[in-house]
Amino acid sequence: MIPVRALRDCLDGVIPGVVSTCAADGTPNVAYMSQGQYLDDGHLALSYQFFNRTHQNLLANPRVTLGLIHPKTAQQYRLHLVYERTETRGPVFESMKAKLAGIASHTGMSGVFRLLGSDIYRIERVEVVPGSTLPAPSPLVDPLLALRTCMARLPTSPDAESLLDALLDGLQTHFAIEHALVMMLDPRRDRLYTVASRGYATSGVGSEIHVGEGVIGVAARERTPIRISHVTSEYAYGLAMREGAERQGMGDLLETEIPFPGLVSPGSQLAVPIPGAHEPLGVLFVESPTEMRFTHAEEDALVALATQVGGLFRLFLAELELGDEAQPGVAREPRPQGPPLRVRHYAANDSVFLGDDYLIKGVAGNILWTLLQDHQALGRTHFSNRELRADPRVRLPDQSDNLEARLVLLHRRLAEREACVRLEKTGRGRFRLLVARPLELEDMDTGA
Amino acid sequence: MPTAPSLLLDPELTRFLTGGLSINAGSASAAGVPSLCRAFGCRVAPDAGRLKLFFAAPQAVDLVRDATRSGALAVVFSEPPTHRTIQIKGEDARLEALTDGDLACVTAYRAAFAQCLVFLGFTEGMVRTLLDCPDEALVGLSFTPSALFNSTPGAQAGTPLTSAPPPPRAPGGP
Repeated sequence: MIPVRALRDCLDGVIPGVVSTCAADGTPNVAYMSQGQYLDDGHLALSYQFFNRTHQNLLANPRVTLGLIHPKTAQQYRLHLVYERTETRGPVFESMKAKLAGIASHTGMSGVFRLLGSDIYRIERVEVVPGSTLPAPSPLVDPLLALRTCMARLPTSPDAESLLDALLDGLQTHFAIEHALVMMLDPRRDRLYTVASRGYATSGVGSEIHVGEGVIGVAARERTPIRISHVTSEYAYGLAMREGAERQGMGDLLETEIPFPGLVSPGSQLAVPIPGAHEPLGVLFVESPTEMRFTHAEEDALVALATQVGGLFRLFLAELELGDEAQPGVAREPRPQGPPLRVRHYAANDSVFLGDDYLIKGVAGNILWTLLQDHQALGRTHFSNRELRADPRVRLPDQSDNLEARLVLLHRRLAEREACVRLEKTGRGRFRLLVARPLELEDMDTGA
Repeated sequence: MPTAPSLLLDPELTRFLTGGLSINAGSASAAGVPSLCRAFGCRVAPDAGRLKLFFAAPQAVDLVRDATRSGALAVVFSEPPTHRTIQIKGEDARLEALTDGDLACVTAYRAAFAQCLVFLGFTEGMVRTLLDCPDEALVGLSFTPSALFNSTPGAQAGTPLTSAPPPPRAPGGP
């Protein structure tokens, strides 16, 4: 019998499988399959993209012989399958569709590869084809051990920001994953925004992509992990986004003001949704310049990690609901001295500029504007996450919004820009606004 | 002697089929169970109009049994970098001893296929291992093409490229 791990490696699409079928009159047919998916010990699914001879044959004769080659050892297998049914909806179909979309967008076959259905087969018998093989390379890391070690640190994180740090540090230390980032979902705008990253020249915190765009966007939309083993450089995010920006007008320049930090020539990519109660909270994305870098076992491990991160995020949010009120009676801090800095807020997209420098937009922009207004008018410097959640000026999309992630984004952007305004954590769900210069606040298009 | 279906095997197609392509052949048992095996090269006999494919005998037990029983054979030739794929079917497959030049053909095929896949990022060792087989274990299956299909991925896949004359039965075949 073929070990499950070997079968999953074979189905990864690195070397296309070959499907042999037979018509009612005995005429054989041989075809390549684009994508296969392991389901369980007794079943697998193959992509159905065109109503071709293979499909005609298996409606008349459900027996199929599938030839597979292990991408590392060159061991050949033959799986004797019996076609059971075609699924056109549900988790198997959605998962294969998302992966195929990723494969297609990365092989220039977007117009050609479209999933009509997932053909589900029962595995009757597996044949190990006699022939020479290479020794299986020992994996760089033991994913189960790496998962255990990495997971141990996550629950000790006191807040969202240190949780993300623990996750990305753990991936680096225990999985030897050098390029990783976390994007959070902004459900109102159907965008994902970067809150933390490792291994890039610039952090890219604040950069955005649309839900459905590329492997990260499709993983978020379809709520399924997507792992690509061969990535063509022409579809790398950085380049695609830059070119997109060139095509678009001034109005969208802000979109790419903070460039996406992805590798210019990635070889492998893996995007794993961070599950929320309903919609995903975000996506954990890792990549490598090396092709075939991420295994099925690492995908398993990252799915487990992302699930834990999602759970902890929701715990932080729940704690906020019960958390402390803003601390009254905090002594007013002295007003800063020196030449004032002009701070502009554009209501059209809630963007905030410090002097002439763009800082941030969207909900994080509103949060900052709200804090600065209260600082200016009331001299306040101490705030709580809970009060911000309830503040109508912040305009959170809804009560379940991931305010924590937006504060992480704002905190990091201010720190990276070395701005004269900073946020400093003072306790669970509480923080202090540090203003080093007098500010002149200007609302640019109120009521526009 | 059967007439060569020259329409099917023009020089460009002959060059394509004998290059460094991925080649897989299928047949089926009397009970309709499909068989399948990877080939180690293809040779075209222009005078007879027949294609000859080479296999590692231990890998091709089911295929040889099924193809020699029914004569039915389907062979897919695919060029990995371009996805260009051709399927050729025949109804008169038979086992054929290796003759002069066959081993040289297999050797040239291994080199061409390895070169093609190394260009795509696979190691030469990987491709050589896949195509490894002692000379004495090689077997040949030959057949006359009776139908030719464009199997390049896409909606047009499966389109007959041309229809062949009725397949000439090889007189005195095994």
